Amino acid sequence: MILDVDLIDVDEAILEAFAAAGSDGLTVAEVVAACHRFDARVVERRLGVLRDYQAISKVVDRPNEQHFRAAFAPYIMLLFLHRLAERGGQSELHQLLTLERLNISHHDAVEGDGGASVSRLTKVFRLLANELTSLVHRGAAEALRENAQLLWGNRSLIVQAEEVHAVVLGRWPSLGQQCAALRISLAAYGDAIEAAAGRLIEQAGTTRALGFLPAGTTRALGFLPAETWVSFARRSDVQALAAVLDSFVFDAPAPWLSPQALAEAVESARPAGGTRFRPPRPDDRQDLAEQDLMPVDDTAELRIAAERLLGDRGSVSVAELLDEAGDWPTGRRLVAEMIAIHHHPDLSFELRWGDGLRIDPGSFPSWVSDGWFGRLAKVSQ
Amino acid sequence: MNQTETALWWARARAAGPQRILPGGPAPAGMLRLPEPDGSGAWLLPVLPDNASAAVLDELGLPGHVLEHPNDTARVLAACVRCCWANPAGPLWPGVGAPWEQVAAVFGAIVNRDEVVSHRALLAGVRRLARSRWLLWDEGAPMIRLGPRVAAWNAAQLSTLREMYRSMPPAGGDGIDASRPSA
Repeated sequence: MILDVDLIDVDEAILEAFAAAGSDGLTVAEVVAACHRFDARVVERRLGVLRDYQAISKVVDRPNEQHFRAAFAPYIMLLFLHRLAERGGQSELHQLLTLERLNISHHDAVEGDGGASVSRLTKVFRLLANELTSLVHRGAAEALRENAQLLWGNRSLIVQAEEVHAVVLGRWPSLGQQCAALRISLAAYGDAIEAAAGRLIEQAGTTRALGFLPAGTTRALGFLPAETWVSFARRSDVQALAAVLDSFVFDAPAPWLSPQALAEAVESARPAGGTRFRPPRPDDRQDLAEQDLMPVDDTAELRIAAERLLGDRGSVSVAELLDEAGDWPTGRRLVAEMIAIHHHPDLSFELRWGDGLRIDPGSFPSWVSDGWFGRLAKVSQ
Repeated sequence: MNQTETALWWARARAAGPQRILPGGPAPAGMLRLPEPDGSGAWLLPVLPDNASAAVLDELGLPGHVLEHPNDTARVLAACVRCCWANPAGPLWPGVGAPWEQVAAVFGAIVNRDEVVSHRALLAGVRRLARSRWLLWDEGAPMIRLGPRVAAWNAAQLSTLREMYRSMPPAGGDGIDASRPSA
């Protein structure tokens, strides 16, 4: 009958036009003109539908009558449809349940009324449960969340229906079978509510709104969109925000600092091995003269020293020379000179060492290796 | 003092840290009473056995209270110990007040950083420590004192501290005289 919510608006405009026209009624053309906001074809089609449903009828029932009038009952139904579309029909259902209860409690009510009432309620709750269950199993979670508020969380509906059920069963025990059907449909509705709630909780649990709260809390928080929480946080004063944590007890900030940690921290702050300085660099600001870089030629000095040591002797023992020197500093210099002379390529002197050892603890030096300093034989010849 | 009151004091200490009471106030069981040197009040410090204190968490490798910048904070406390411990041969509490500049000088000598950076670290550390009562310091106050919590360190730990005290640079310059006030 009504395929689209917008069609309700068209119907309403048509009925409004009839209401304004008074008892003379309107022709089809007049209705279309009055409803010029909508497409003429749509209006005509709706007029046909309404005529099929007897919502509008000819003013006088004769073949060529052009004027139509509207009945009031369809408009009431339209109002109901409006409300149902807006609010899901929950309050209507509540009212219906209250009315059923009143009807069957009435002392004039007979067994037939009770049976009819119970079968109506059975149908209502079966349809509700079917819709909810199919949403749970096949619908997207978002669709479920949008529609679910209209369908579940209505424990009071079940309670009311159970009251009706109790009254019927009390007055007409013979209706036990129908009452059992009602009980089953109520249980199905209850199960569907549970399933829907479970699905929503599961879905909300996967999107953690706030990471630091326990899992149960996050699930509960997930029911509200994040924007709601943001605006709550922005608009609340300090008291309201603090009230959120009213039931929590926090430990005082009590970090433990051990002296060991203190000492380690102090130690680690110090640069290892004290402050390090850059080693001094050679002073290369002025270039050394090239001459200074040449190895010093001390051939002449060494030759003079060798001649002085040897005198007119061909060779002389190291022990003898050291005895002449008398003390160790001088002797040391002598040995150094002899070695330098020995190694000089241009000088024909040599220092030969033997296996002998002269030991005399009482004198200086207390021991001397058997060494001879002399001219090289072949060169000297 | 009955059991309920004792439990209440322990709960207060747990929720808000060491409690300051007026002189002549209660002395709940298991708590250390630390009188202020000027007699204006006393601190109640819960004394836990060694095998139940926060140090156990360290030993077990469990996460304890998370402290931001643990090293810098420890250095700040070390600087305060260096400045406020009147007599290293004796107990740490109550110690003496040390001027901010002196603590800053010691801290600066430890960390060896730029003055601005060092000041920021010091201020953050002092705030953090004052919040948990390791130090007594009011925001902006010129003097810093050691807080009641330091009295929880036992004798063995104090000897570690003494070692550290000796190894630390003394407060340099004009602060050095103030670091040795008569206790």
